[in-house]
Amino acid sequence: MTDSTVRSLDDPNVWVDTPATIYDAVPPYPPRSEREAEFYDLRDGEMLLNLGPQHPSTHGVLRVVLKIDGERVVDLDPVLGYLHRGVEKLCENGDWHIAISQCDPLEYVASMFSEAMPVLAAEKLLDLEVPRRAEYIRVLAWELNRIASHALFMGWLALDLGGLTPILWSFIERDEIVDMLAALTGQRMLFNYLRIGGVNGDLNHDFLSRLGDWMAHAGDQIEETQRLLNQNEIFVRRTRDMGVLDRDAALRLCMSGPPLRATGVPFDVRRAHPYSVYPELEFDIPTRTEGDSYARYMLHIDEIRESMHIIDQVLNDMPDGPIMAKIPRLIRIPPGRAFIAIESPRGEYACYAMSDGSDQPFRMRIHDPSFFNLQAVGELVPGNLIADTMAVMASLDPIMGGIDK
Amino acid sequence: MTVAARNATDVLRTLHDDDRFGFEFLADLAGVDTGSEMWVVYHLWSPTTPDWLRVIVPGLARDDPRVPSVTFLWKGAEWAEREAYDMFGIIFEGNRDLRRIYMPPDYVSFPLRKDFLLADDSARSSGAGYRHVEQMGPPASALREPTLRQAKSLPNREMGSASQLPEETATPPGEQA
Repeated sequence: MTDSTVRSLDDPNVWVDTPATIYDAVPPYPPRSEREAEFYDLRDGEMLLNLGPQHPSTHGVLRVVLKIDGERVVDLDPVLGYLHRGVEKLCENGDWHIAISQCDPLEYVASMFSEAMPVLAAEKLLDLEVPRRAEYIRVLAWELNRIASHALFMGWLALDLGGLTPILWSFIERDEIVDMLAALTGQRMLFNYLRIGGVNGDLNHDFLSRLGDWMAHAGDQIEETQRLLNQNEIFVRRTRDMGVLDRDAALRLCMSGPPLRATGVPFDVRRAHPYSVYPELEFDIPTRTEGDSYARYMLHIDEIRESMHIIDQVLNDMPDGPIMAKIPRLIRIPPGRAFIAIESPRGEYACYAMSDGSDQPFRMRIHDPSFFNLQAVGELVPGNLIADTMAVMASLDPIMGGIDK
Repeated sequence: MTVAARNATDVLRTLHDDDRFGFEFLADLAGVDTGSEMWVVYHLWSPTTPDWLRVIVPGLARDDPRVPSVTFLWKGAEWAEREAYDMFGIIFEGNRDLRRIYMPPDYVSFPLRKDFLLADDSARSSGAGYRHVEQMGPPASALREPTLRQAKSLPNREMGSASQLPEETATPPGEQA
């Protein structure tokens, strides 16, 4: 028995050799691609460090193999698939209504956006006009959900930098919104609220009174959280000039949402390819030019303000009328192909749906923004310290449910 | 817009680089299995104008679908291409990192292909679930057999040495054929 022998899991009386070396991170099969061969070929002084899959700062179940030289990250290889459910296949095997609840857990902190995918695709294929009240309720729910998600982002980012207070504060705000949406939809997180042709339920008293309470102090709350972070020296030093992207790199990496707008590209799907009633609403697209983690963080605060501005307008102009279009419950979607995209808190959430005229989608391709945004860590992290890996990753705000589908 | 696979590189490069088009934004890259052939579908956006364009590369053979990679234009397409390879078996020539992304490395089927059936297809959709299979797959009576899930019937799913792995994953995809 030496230091590297342990009791066997099969038989506790048997001791087995498990040389715990850095080479445990090397896959036990020959490299499958050029890049993999290159990555697992270590030079002098380099070693591999396994991060995750169960690590609190990977925001889900993500494994990252870091190739490090001392305290510096030389290269990294994210390993996905721990949350893979095969959503696209499940959508193809259920009907269009089932697809709504299948898409719900994709973006699990902002489900209102991912569940819109089959709904909007089906409406586009049907060429269906949704009642205006339903559109306004949708926008209201989307913007509330965006604020909840952004508030959580601010907390997570600070948590990954070692600050515990902001996440507790942002959870207060997020819980208020989540409870509000629970009063509206019946669910806290996986709402299953949107329907082909409208929404599942009208605004109710409980929801509106909670919304009013929250609106009265929401501005102050955000002000308070950002006072905690904006001038915090540790926070600023660890985010400013970290993970810097420029416009061309962001476009080359197919990024969207706040990371793209932080590089100075005023691209927001709500304005560039308008959907729902966004053309009627008045809001700005905040941008920053620095492209670093701090710019991405500041952008989230600006977007919360814009969302609150939208909520004000929506509540003012809320029309009366039905909340569902008149469509049969068992619906056959006409054959065709549709591409729809919406602006989720993380960027462009898109769906390419094909229908063959039956009650089931023929193909439902879901484009998740976190999947593309996370890819940037391959360019942003190398050269930085190990501890900054999480800081950069958190500033891209990945949600593993959508990445792994 | 429909493009043949051999022209896809040139067309996409022109759309990306030429100022008159300026489609610098790859909105989506999707693989599609129509049951008889494979497609790769690109959606392009312009960051400054509201234009959009759908480029379809149709007619890829189901047994050996190959298209040129677009990673030289959009580095971010790398994972999307890996996903299409993982789910459909479409080989993107020129992608340096074409390996499975979601499924385990020793997995051998391509789950989103139409001939990959879920075991409970017949239970969940009474009749409608077969519709893609009729032209190409096994007869409907065979669908109830327990060996339906393809991956289950394939031998040797344990991870092991190179000789144990099926040939498809043992050789880098770019070097086949």
